[in-house]
Order: sequence, then C-alpha cells, then structure tokens
Amino acid sequence: MNPVTDTSGTAVAQDSFSKSAGRQLLIYALMSIAGVGLLMVALSWASSLTGASAGSQVAVDPKLNMITLTLAEEPPQLNSTLQTDTVSGMVIGHLMEGLLRYDHNNDLAPGVARRWENTGTTATFWLRKDALWSDGVPVTAHDFVFAWRTVVDPANASEYAFILFPVQNAEEINNGDMPLEALGVTAIDDYTLKVQLARPTAYFDKLMAFSTYYPIREDFYNQTNGRYGADADELLYNGPFVLSRWVHGANLRMEKNLNYWDADRIRLDVIEFPYITSDQNALVNLFTDKKIAYTTLGAESLETALEKRWHLNRFMDGSVFYIEFNFRSHRLTHNYHLRKAMQLAIDPAELVYKVTKIPGYLPAESIFPVWLRGVDNFFREEYPAPKVTVDIEAAKRHLAIAKRELGITEIPPLVLLTGDNPISNIQSEYYQGAFKKHLGIDIKIDKQIFKQRLAKMTSGEFDMVLAGWGPDYDDPLTFGDLFASWNLNNRGRYNNPELDRQVHIAQTEIDPRTRMEAFAEIQRIIIEDVVVLLSYERGVVYVTDPRLKGVVRRQAGADPDFTNAYIVDIAN
Amino acid sequence: MTEATFDPKDFEPIVHTRQVQSISRPSLSYWQDAWIRLKANTRALVSLYIVIGLMAFTILGPIVWSIDPSLQDLDQISIPPGADREATLVQSYIPWDGTTLLEVSPGLRLAEPATTQSVRLLWDPIDGLSGYRIFRNLFPVGPERALGLPLAENFSSRDVAFEDRLDLRPGRYYYSVLGVNESGDESGYLETLVVNVARVITFDEALSRGLIDETADLKEGDTLTLGLHPLGTDYLGRDLLARLMSGARVSLFIGICAPFLFVAFGVIYGSAAGFVGGRFDQGMMRFADFVVALPFLLFMILFKIVFGIGPGESGIAPMLLAMVILLWPATARLVRGQILQIRQEAYISASQLLGAKTNYLVLRHMIPNTMGVILVTLTFAVPSAIFTEAFLSFIGMGVAPPTPSWGSMCNEGIKTMLTHPHELIFPALLISITVLAFNLLGDGLRDALDARMRSTE
Repeated sequence: MNPVTDTSGTAVAQDSFSKSAGRQLLIYALMSIAGVGLLMVALSWASSLTGASAGSQVAVDPKLNMITLTLAEEPPQLNSTLQTDTVSGMVIGHLMEGLLRYDHNNDLAPGVARRWENTGTTATFWLRKDALWSDGVPVTAHDFVFAWRTVVDPANASEYAFILFPVQNAEEINNGDMPLEALGVTAIDDYTLKVQLARPTAYFDKLMAFSTYYPIREDFYNQTNGRYGADADELLYNGPFVLSRWVHGANLRMEKNLNYWDADRIRLDVIEFPYITSDQNALVNLFTDKKIAYTTLGAESLETALEKRWHLNRFMDGSVFYIEFNFRSHRLTHNYHLRKAMQLAIDPAELVYKVTKIPGYLPAESIFPVWLRGVDNFFREEYPAPKVTVDIEAAKRHLAIAKRELGITEIPPLVLLTGDNPISNIQSEYYQGAFKKHLGIDIKIDKQIFKQRLAKMTSGEFDMVLAGWGPDYDDPLTFGDLFASWNLNNRGRYNNPELDRQVHIAQTEIDPRTRMEAFAEIQRIIIEDVVVLLSYERGVVYVTDPRLKGVVRRQAGADPDFTNAYIVDIAN
Repeated sequence: MTEATFDPKDFEPIVHTRQVQSISRPSLSYWQDAWIRLKANTRALVSLYIVIGLMAFTILGPIVWSIDPSLQDLDQISIPPGADREATLVQSYIPWDGTTLLEVSPGLRLAEPATTQSVRLLWDPIDGLSGYRIFRNLFPVGPERALGLPLAENFSSRDVAFEDRLDLRPGRYYYSVLGVNESGDESGYLETLVVNVARVITFDEALSRGLIDETADLKEGDTLTLGLHPLGTDYLGRDLLARLMSGARVSLFIGICAPFLFVAFGVIYGSAAGFVGGRFDQGMMRFADFVVALPFLLFMILFKIVFGIGPGESGIAPMLLAMVILLWPATARLVRGQILQIRQEAYISASQLLGAKTNYLVLRHMIPNTMGVILVTLTFAVPSAIFTEAFLSFIGMGVAPPTPSWGSMCNEGIKTMLTHPHELIFPALLISITVLAFNLLGDGLRDALDARMRSTE
C-alpha cells in the first residue's frame, strides 16, 4: 500500500462518516418535530377535555338562552361591604339587589322595598314579602340592619364606609367612638326598615341602589367564618342571578335565580365568563371569532372594527378625569400662579381629538360631567362652567410671577404620578411634551400600578397625579364633595373654607335650587383656583353581538347591565 | 532493453550553489493573519460594515438629522414614511355656533369646506324625532348598515348641527346621520354624505414649527409643505428617525459597555482562579456558581430600589450594574478552563525552568493564548446585552419617557401593530439587524482568531 491511497481512504471514511452523521441528525430533527406536533395535538385534546364545561363557547346560544362575556379582571371578592372596583361592582350588581335599583331607563325603581318615604330626617322603607334569598328564606329588614352595621364596623375596614355617613352615628361608629348598635337604622318589624339620618339628605334614596347598601343575612355570614363572598358557595344571593361556578383565576358562571321575586323580568338563563382578560387584541379576536357577545374597543382597534363592518355603540361612562395637584406646602404646586400657568398652557380638546382619539371622550370643562341633572335640566346647561382658553403669553406671565414668589429662577422637574395603562401612558407623555414646549417645565413621569398609585396618592408623594372619579350615585354631590377638606379622596389636601362651606350647603339643604347653586359655586372655585387641570370625560366604544339586545349602560350602578338583556334568534 | 548513451556533459561536477532555506512569504503576526482570514469571510465582513454603519448612525446621525426626538408634531400623528405633506394655511380654530355662510341646499351638507381642523355638518330638522346619532366611516355604508364610528348624539330634533374634530386625517370619510325616536330606537331617517377632507395647518402652528417665519408673505389658502419625517412619526407625532438614533445611543451604550465591563471582570476572576488553582480555585468557582443562580430580573428591580431610582428617572444605571454583577461567571468559567489547560503545557514548564516570573507567565503566555476566547465571548455578549436592554425596556424597566430606546419603541409600536405597522417594524428591524450583525461578526472572529486553524489554510 502506498501512502496516497491511505490518505484518500481516510478522506473517504471521514466523508461517509459526516454523511451518516448528517443523516442521523436529520432523522433526529424530523422525529423531534413529529414529537412536538404530537404533543401539541395531545395537549389540545387534553385541554378540550378539562375545559369541556367552560370550553366550546359561543357568543350567543339561543337554545340554552346563554351568552358568553369576559371580565377585565377577577373580582378580589364579592362581599358587598368590601367591594371597591368596578368589575366586582358589575358582578355583584347582577347577583344582589338593594332596597332600590335602576331600571332599563336608568330611573330608580323598587327593589326589595316596594314603597319608600324620605322626610328629610328619617327614611322609611316597606319591604316586599316575596323577596327571597337564593335558599328560599325571605329577605327581611334585619338583613339590612346587619349589613349596614357590618359596613361601618371599624373591624371590617370597609373602604366605602363613608357612603353610609348620612345615616345617624355612622361616622362615629366607623371612627370607633360608638357601639355598632347605635347606628340609626332599625327594623320596626320583618318588613319595615326605618333610617334615622345624620343630616337631611336629599339623595338618600339614590344611595339605596348602591352596592354597599345591599343586604347580608346574619346567620349565613357568620357561618362562612370570614370567607363571605370569597367563593360561589360562600355567598347568598337575592338578585336576578346566582353564581353557580367560580374557578379562581379562570372563569365564572351565572345562572338565573329562580327565587328572585321579579324572575319573570329576567330573560337570560346563563351568563358565562370563561375568559378573564383586558388585552385589547385578545378581546377583538374573541369577538371576531364569535366567542363573546360584547367587548369594548380601544383606539387601536377601531379601524379593524370599521373594516369588519361591526355596528358600534358609544357610551359616556360618567367619569371625569383630571390632573390633581398636591397642595401640601412643601410642594411647588401649592403656588396658584404655577397652577394657573399650566392651566392656560394646555387644551383638553387637543388631548381628546388628537391624542386619545376615542369617540365618546369629551374634553372636560368642569368637574361636573355633562350628564348630571340640575333642577329641571342638565346641570351644566343650567350652570355653565367658566370658560378657560389657551393663552400661552398669559401662561408665561403667570409662570414668571410664580418663579418670583417661589424665589427660584428655574422650576425643578415636577413629578406626574400616573397609572400603568395605555391611556395614562399616552396622556402623561402628551402633558410632558406640552409643558416642556410651552412653559419649559420638565415633568418626570412616575408610572405605578393602581394599588401603588393609590398608596402614593395617599402619602402625598407627587406634585401632580392623573386621577379620575366615577359617580357612586346619581347626584352632583358625588363629584361636589371631592375637594372638601375632610374628604379622604382629596389626596392633594386642598383646603378652602369657602368650598367647604358650599359642600356643607349641598349636603344639608333639601331645596334643589339652593343645592345646585352651591354646586355652581364649587364648580367656579375649582376652575378659578385651579384645583385640578381638567382632561376629559370618559367614554367607551363597544360592540355587542347583533343577536343580543337590551344591554343597559349606566353611569351609576352595575355597568354594563345584562339583567334586561335578551336574545333574538336571527336565522343566518 | 535500450542502450544507454552518455555524453561528457553528464560527467561534469555539479556547481555548488549556496541553497539556504528562504522565506517565500512575508512573516505574519497573529493579528495580521486573523485579519486576513476575517477578510476572506464575506458574512463577517458585511457584519463588520453594518456594525460600523450602526456606530455612525448613532454618533453622526443626530448631527446630520438634528430633530429633537421628543418634539411632538400633533399635526402629523402616526404618519407612515413617505406620506403626502402638502397642507393649506388656515386661520386658528374658532368655535362654531352651528350656522353656515354657504348657500342652503336640502339634506345633509357641509357648512364649510372639510378640513383636518374640523368637519362641520348641517342637516334638516325632522319633526317627531327625539334626536340624532352621528356616525363616521372609512368605508361606504353597505346593505349591512354598519355606519362606523359613533361620534355623538344630539338630544333634540332641532339640534341639527355637528362639528367633528376627532382625529381627522386627509382622505375620504362617510358621514351618516341617523334619526332617533322617542323610545330611543332608530327611526327610518338616515342620510349619508361623502366628505373629502383636506389637510390644513394654522398660522400659529406653522410659525411654532418653524415652517414659515414672521415676515413670510403668506395668506390663507396658500399651500406649504409640512416637516419632513423620512421614517414617519409615532403616536404623538414624534419623528421616528430621530427617535431611532436617540434610542440607538441607549441600546448600543448598554450593548457595548456592559459586556466590556463584565467580560473584563470575568477574565480577571477566571485567570486568577485558574492560575492559583487548588482550594482557592474551588472556592472561587463555587461562588461563581452561586452568582449564576441569582435571578437577573429580581436583582434589576432590587438595584432600582436600592439606587433610589426615583419616578421618571432612567433605569439604565441599575441595568448596567445588574448585568456587570450577574453576567460575568460565564466568561470567568471559560477563561479558567483555558488557563488550567495552558498551565499544563510544556512551554510553560520550560518558561518556569528558565526562571520566568508569574507576571511574565500570565502576561506573555496565558492571556495572549486566551485572547481568542475572550474576544469571541465579548462579541457574543454584545448582542445578548442589546437584547436584554430591549427586553427590559419593552417591559418598562428601562428608560423613562420621553427618552426612547429600541425596546420601549417596540413596546409602544406593538399596540398599533395592525393600523400603523411602521412604528413597530423600524425599531424591531434595527434590533434584529444589530443582533444578527454582532452574532455573525462574532462567528467570523472565532474562526479568524482560532490559532489552531492557522496551519490548515
């Protein structure tokens, strides 16, 4: 053998080795691809098995009389005394009923009470005898007495306890100064409830539709050992629906409550909530695939909606958004001229029409939204808000005065506290650019999740904060007392004796005209003293399945309301 | 058998020439050789040019394209690249009272020519209705009666004017007015109007954007050209090209600074462990294992708090620190392995026998022999650092607005992916190109710097 053949032999061997290795690799690759494919099929089959009850959803099922919806987030719990967020408010509003409720025209209607009377210092409610709990036991006046005592009980730490303060001694009990039994509410008999009011409260009947005033049955509450409202079977229902399934973190199911006194009014049998998501793209895709019967639409999905020829609806949800200033004395924003300069430099119309771009949003001109009723007409038509027009020159003059008064040559960066959601992000960046451009003021954006933002608002760690307020009840006072010096929601600690005096008038007077004039005065002070920078009144654009009718939207109370909804079966 | 023939020449002695071994090619240093081999690798070479181009884009770009990346041009929000920029000059916006100067024609009509400032609609009152709903569509209203965006609702049959100012863009719109009867349901009344909207700009706006100057002799109705945005604008009308350049500064700063620092630390740590060896090596390497186990994201958040990174301040410094503190063990292990191997080589023993000091051994023999490995680690660490920065900014842990970075731009762009894809595509493209270029360059460098491959070519 000569050396030449020897080397070529090695080369051949190497070549064939790499070839066979390549083949081996290819086989492995193919096998793994096939394996992954098989695994996916198996998993999807397994998921269809486990999700059989929640899966295979259709938006509207005329046979089962069922609709499918989504929840933006899971309710933390469904205890009406502890509820603060709108999602739980919406769910509880379908499961429970107070003394009064809102009907499909958003007027007050009898709920558990069939008749009521408000003399100014006392309110009396006569309960209907056919109102039953979901276990068949009648709803009595004692259930209300127990629920209301629980709300104001300091041990319960209800964040909404203040809404019961019109009831006599509620505030004192909540502060721990009086025993629970001192609360000014008594059950004359099983079907008569008498309420002593701390002060004349013109809007007291409207409060009765608010979820914090809902009844709770004492024996059931005690039997849950503090888990009341934590699970579907830890809750007793007296409303149109019962919660038949609640898989935490996954899905909920409501079924018609056959024991509900007005069960004939309820036309849906089942409402499924198989998805808990607020992701805009996911919602649009679910609706496109006819998996859900209702969704709201963000600015980014409107063009898609137009392309798909959906019938869009718009609704003002009743809340007002604004920038709240910090009035604590070590903050620069307590200076009137600095605030005035900022007010004159920005145009809410520009924000609404060019930046947020959602139809339904309205540039805010007052802390009182347009839908509030005044004496005979809309409040804002009877008492128009003072106009603010953009005037950069005047703004710069005010800024110069502010700098002189504060004794500084340059305004240091101001902290703008905001929430972490798309609308807040874009809005705060717009303000950042606008204040920099017009006034040369730098803004630092402090983006926080809802809980953290609330904590920072309470401790006063901000110069400005993007805030909003949704109505709790259908009366201008729900907005009017926001900046009263004693209100805990007045996070900037604004303190103006004149405004306090007007709020006091609005709280205690009965005559509508006197009250509305007080609100007009509050409106004027808030704009002229630049307590807030007004941004917008929020609206939503939403779309419902064409077969689903009778969905009611409302500013105060459970929204959206599906209790009057029904299905029309249009043959496809 | 053939007869051999000889001639006298065959018997002459060979002339003795001094044939010494000569060098046929010029001698090449390690680096020259590596450079030659890198040049032969087209992929790596192209990547190198791309990397150089990116540096120029980052450093020279803002000098050439000197637009403020945080300046909001609200007249040109989310425009794609190459959009039409002609606009007509108009007066500032004046609120409208619902009247018109145009001649009265029946039905749904425009009160004024439609512009991007406002579209003012008028129609005839219909008795017996309780109000009207006004819709706007981008598509013709077909038989399915999808009227489009619900813009507003008028609550009186006499209220027959509507002004639209919502996000008007030049183009064609289909406005519809639908009558609403007492019960709040749709009545039979429906009118649709096709409106062509023209782009306009006010004097004040044009002045403040520097499109015209005070002395310019322009009057209403004159056309002018709006500011140029070669790559379009984002959701607040900010120039995308300027933002990409400014974002590159953040991305490349992190991408180059962080790997340089942690690779340098890793080399020192690893060579110390490898050279000393024994218990010391064991201890050091177990500490490295411990650092590997630390979760990066958690530390990033912790540093942000410990640093007291306040609201609205950039998270770049803690990000850099977290990377340097947590990412060095990979390099350290690699270098330690190399050093351990080299320590056993015969030439090291020879050096030692000849009396070489430790310093000399490390600097002359060990570090140069690990250089290839170190450089390759560095080039591969760069793309991964850029990617980490992009990821952290994407989830909102990085830069604070209005400072852009490629990751945060992607995060913003993804929301409008379907309607304005350019806001996502450009930053994403830049991230991809940069990461790919650095990876391919690293690949080429590994081949070029591998000393063992020197003889095979």
